[in-house]
Amino acid sequence: MNFINRAFKNVTRRLSKTILLVLTFFLIGNLVIIGLGVSSAAESAKILTRKKMRAVVTYMVDYDKVYRYVESLTDEDEINKFYENYPRVKVEDVAGFLTDPRVRIANAVSSNMWYSDAEGSLDFVHLGNSREQNMDENAGQSCYYDENNVMQCETYKEPYFFIKSNMFPGMIEFEDGGYEITEGRFYNQEEITNAESVCLISVNLAATNGVGVGDTITLATGNDSSYMRRQGVTPEDYNCQFQIIGIYDHHNPLLPDASNWDYASPYENPDNMIFIPTTAVFKAMLPVQQKTFDYYAAQNPEDEYYSNEENRPSMENMERSMYMENVTLLLDDPLNVEQFVEDYSNSISQFTSLDANNDEFNRLSKPLDTLSMYANFIVWLVVINAIVIITLVTALTLKTREYEIGVLLSVGASKIKVIAQFFVELALVAIIGFTLSVISGSLIAKKIGNTVLEAQIATSDVANEEDFGYEYIDIWNTDYSTEISLDDLISEYEVRISPLIIAEIYVLGLGIVLISVIIPSFMIMRYNPKKILMNQN
Amino acid sequence: MAEEILRLENINYSYIDGGYERQILKDLSYTFEKGKFYTILGPSGSGKTTLLSIIAGLDTAKSGEIFFEGKNIKEIGLHKYRRNAISIVFQQYNLISYLTAVENVLLAMSETDNELPKDRRNVAYNLLERFGIVRSKADRMVNQLSGGEQQRVAIARSLASNVDLIFADEPTGNLDTATEREIISIFKELSQEFGKTIIVVTHSNTVSEMSDLRVLLKDGKLNEL
Repeated sequence: MNFINRAFKNVTRRLSKTILLVLTFFLIGNLVIIGLGVSSAAESAKILTRKKMRAVVTYMVDYDKVYRYVESLTDEDEINKFYENYPRVKVEDVAGFLTDPRVRIANAVSSNMWYSDAEGSLDFVHLGNSREQNMDENAGQSCYYDENNVMQCETYKEPYFFIKSNMFPGMIEFEDGGYEITEGRFYNQEEITNAESVCLISVNLAATNGVGVGDTITLATGNDSSYMRRQGVTPEDYNCQFQIIGIYDHHNPLLPDASNWDYASPYENPDNMIFIPTTAVFKAMLPVQQKTFDYYAAQNPEDEYYSNEENRPSMENMERSMYMENVTLLLDDPLNVEQFVEDYSNSISQFTSLDANNDEFNRLSKPLDTLSMYANFIVWLVVINAIVIITLVTALTLKTREYEIGVLLSVGASKIKVIAQFFVELALVAIIGFTLSVISGSLIAKKIGNTVLEAQIATSDVANEEDFGYEYIDIWNTDYSTEISLDDLISEYEVRISPLIIAEIYVLGLGIVLISVIIPSFMIMRYNPKKILMNQN
Repeated sequence: MAEEILRLENINYSYIDGGYERQILKDLSYTFEKGKFYTILGPSGSGKTTLLSIIAGLDTAKSGEIFFEGKNIKEIGLHKYRRNAISIVFQQYNLISYLTAVENVLLAMSETDNELPKDRRNVAYNLLERFGIVRSKADRMVNQLSGGEQQRVAIARSLASNVDLIFADEPTGNLDTATEREIISIFKELSQEFGKTIIVVTHSNTVSEMSDLRVLLKDGKLNEL
């Protein structure tokens, strides 16, 4: 008849007391399950939504920091000096990030619109919209005032191709299925370093022109215009050849119902996008840039900027010429984003910052955060109340069981064993109560969880961004963060009583029992069997 | 002289009552011998119950020593002394209400360190049967038994832990005369047949007349009558 056996018999044979205690634990268990269930659902919804979002971190010039710094400067020379060395995102910083195993891709993207050569050797994939029809009718005109203040007009030629270039191998576009290489490959680090004239073109562009991997295409970084001619630029300066190393397809269809469709230019057609290494783009543009620089240097011999040979565009000062204002890093896991930002926030350059692109996510998660906070608050409130109630019940029960304790002590049972018996009795009752509450709580929690979320959303000022109903052809977008809506978050919200929550409930329950037994234990330790038993007699 | 089981040396016990110190036991010395049935008599308030609680290890004297089989019970440890050396029978039986009769007997067996037979439940049933509690009654909750039956269960429990020294505090106080005689016969049998030392605190002449030795507690001292 050890203490566990005695505890079991006490629980099973004093049924009215046991039922009342089971009921108490049952009610406590239900409230705790609802609290934990709702809190866990809110947290899971956030995690699941975050997982669906692209794991991107933006490394960028922090204009707020720049502004604050410039504001703090009082000396004009100092301000000018600062502007001469305006903060920028440096390639070496990004290369540093790429050594972190969490970083998969760095998108240091720049864009240009280029032409076909004068012979039109590379045709673009046609849109078939009104602007294209106007172009066919040579209706597009570009006008300017010459040195004699006389208006000069010439036929305006639309750029055909959108040149998207990256400073690093791989691009986010090709990582998540939006674009995929159907033939050949993406350019590598060696080709970037050597500024090799290689490119990737779309399946449709390849088909339109009957070219493939290994063929060479001719692109023009500029076109014949009086402006170019004035600077001495010839077709040899802007015509350049690129070898096709890859053919891609994309899931970025044209949107004929897009609001800017009728005025879309050929280069806005995703089929006319060409991927080229940034170094190769710069090399292709270099002759025109150098001639332009030389032209203005000749025109402005006194100008300090043009007098400085270091400012003349060259492959050596490419980074200076191709200003990078932000780089998007693609990480291995969306859940690593915040930690990554935290890890590097203190070590990055003074006027740059890392953005986890979480602002919208955090704004939309507000109702879930509030819900989770209240749910946790309720759990702790219930737990504290439960401890107080169970302590009180146990202490009061002790009074009625003094005689039994006296008997146990008189037959030589230790006080520790008496306390252990009380603990086991309460633990058994708690286990029964909590087990019943797991069944009912999971049903109630679901219903209550959904109701309180609806109420929370109704009272919060968070709403989805208003959808204006416009669709754009947006090839310029370099924001790689995933747009989410409140509906995305809510769709992931589901109150489910997982095994982890069930385990938590039992741990909490046993914790409640353990703490509730502490005060009665002190009372038992002070019991004197003589006083109990002899007074009884 | 028979072998001693319990020796009391210069026991003093007092308490404060209404601002005055009330001396209950004064330099009390006495030796109890093995296998005898003692009754301790005395007027109300003479300190009989206090003396019993001290020698049963439920309370401690202000001064003086108690030796069980030659060993100071403080050295044995009061808790261990209660568990392995003695057992107590109370006037109110002090059985645990949510246990059956046999489980109450098993309770004492589970706490003692003394060597006990392996088949404890059968031993408990046999013990109860010996004192008139048949098996059908042994499996009843104790509050379903009569007062006499409950006291028999209490006596059976006191024997279950296989101790040589049994104390009883007014064990027949709640029983009718016929049952009182039965219970005292059991005590007598225990001392005579099993060599147990029985020390009973009582007011009852019937009980004291049946004991081997009657000891009077008066003025804080024990004197054999």
